[in-house]
Amino acid sequence: MVVASPIKAMHVITHASVKIESITPAQLRRIYSIRQTRWASSTPITVFVLPSQHTIHKNFAKNTLNIFPYKLDRVWNKLTFSGLGVAPTIVQSQEEMLKAVSSTPGAIGYVDDLNKEVDVNVLNISI
Amino acid sequence: MLMFLIFQYNVNYMIRIRYAFAFVAMLFIGQVNGQESNNEAWQVHGFVAQGLIDVDGSSFVNNDGALSAELTEIGINGSYQLNDYVRITGQAVYLDGGNRYVEGARIDYALLDFGVFQDDKWLVNLYLGRFKNNNWLYSSTRDVPHARPSIILPQSKYFDGFRDIAMGSDGISAKVVYSSENYGDFDFYFSYGSSSLETEDVKLLLGDLVKGKGKQRFDAQASLYWQPLFSPWQLGVSLLDSDFYYERANSDLYADGLFSFQQLSSSFLYEGEKWEFSGEITQSKFTQNGFYFEEYSRGTTGLGAYVQSRFQYNNQLSLLARVEKFYADEKDKNGSQLEKNTGGAVPSYFGYQNDITVGSSFMLADNMRVDIEHHWVEGTSRLTPVISPNKELNNQRRWSMWAVQFMYWF
Repeated sequence: MVVASPIKAMHVITHASVKIESITPAQLRRIYSIRQTRWASSTPITVFVLPSQHTIHKNFAKNTLNIFPYKLDRVWNKLTFSGLGVAPTIVQSQEEMLKAVSSTPGAIGYVDDLNKEVDVNVLNISI
Repeated sequence: MLMFLIFQYNVNYMIRIRYAFAFVAMLFIGQVNGQESNNEAWQVHGFVAQGLIDVDGSSFVNNDGALSAELTEIGINGSYQLNDYVRITGQAVYLDGGNRYVEGARIDYALLDFGVFQDDKWLVNLYLGRFKNNNWLYSSTRDVPHARPSIILPQSKYFDGFRDIAMGSDGISAKVVYSSENYGDFDFYFSYGSSSLETEDVKLLLGDLVKGKGKQRFDAQASLYWQPLFSPWQLGVSLLDSDFYYERANSDLYADGLFSFQQLSSSFLYEGEKWEFSGEITQSKFTQNGFYFEEYSRGTTGLGAYVQSRFQYNNQLSLLARVEKFYADEKDKNGSQLEKNTGGAVPSYFGYQNDITVGSSFMLADNMRVDIEHHWVEGTSRLTPVISPNKELNNQRRWSMWAVQFMYWF
């Protein structure tokens, strides 16, 4: 018998110092497309992502950002290899993501497993 | 003699492959260190690509028509955030494309990036130094193998002979990004600067017999791209104005010359889950005064366009098909006037170049890919040198090529 693994809810997390409670899908998309690089408080946003082929990254890009992962790769490649900007920092696992976001002021990331006692701010995604 | 040539070819080929492999090994080491050192302030990235290309019937890559390994692209870049508002960044590349452009290393970009203004809708950056051309669909990544749609880009727009002039300039550029919750994303780019040209660049453009110096006086470009909110479509328009002059040497066959170039182009891009469509149409006005002799004056308006489609078969494999047309003079689409005006010195097929391309990309790993493609080409107007065409080496209207390229990036 094949048991399908359930799709877990995606949690968008920020460093605890980011004092916002919710974010719109459009704003999240702007941040991950590197069209917004500062929070309203002027703190620089440090964007963390999982590798492009990671299942959680694919789900986040497609279902939360409403962007196909290959398109995000293109945006980041263009920034990286044209000098226009800085692409997100890649982390290899959810544990690393939690550690990076919790320790970097202004950071944003995503996980589908929050059963950790890590000091991060969890954002509601508001329509 | 034949054995000697084969031996020599193999030796050169092996040296090239050996260098490429040595560089890959170096980049692997660099990547390990890079991943450890990449952080919020400091980033290092790069790529290496080596391929084989075989052209049958033209001097696009080499003069003897032999299978060639002159398909090498290596690059490394670094970015350092000096403070919250200023970043310094640069990229060096080594390129070998045979006759397509001058072989060697160059600084692709080296600039200071100033974050001038930002709120939740606007993002304004100013760049000072050597910047890349960001105004066309693939102009900023045309020499980044994994970030372009094919090994050889559409020559109507991304003519390799103009690579070093079109790639970027030394000067100032700006990016203005506006994100509307109702209308979507708008990107505006502007740049003003000039490129310095080495002797080899001038020969590639004007012919082997030139002895003087060439310089770009200025290059001004602007573009606007619009993507409706959450839409797979993107539309763009771009403008270019540039002057280039030739200063003759004392013992030169040629006179001083001034070449002016204006370009208007528009583009579309559709990015779906499985299918992607894109295309660009470009009208280019080219004016030449002098060079052949002092009173010489000629103006033409060229027209080029391509449409292409990519199908993502699965996570690893994608397929590409492209159709492209280019006329050096839109009023002389079959080149008959060109042949007549030059008294038969330049055959009519130098007046146009049409290309049908099929290709495929296969992902070997997250950061390794191999591309393969075949081109069927009619016409020779996008070959180097541009101003003094080589009809002895290009005596056929139809020619073809295939290429395969392995690429790795980090």
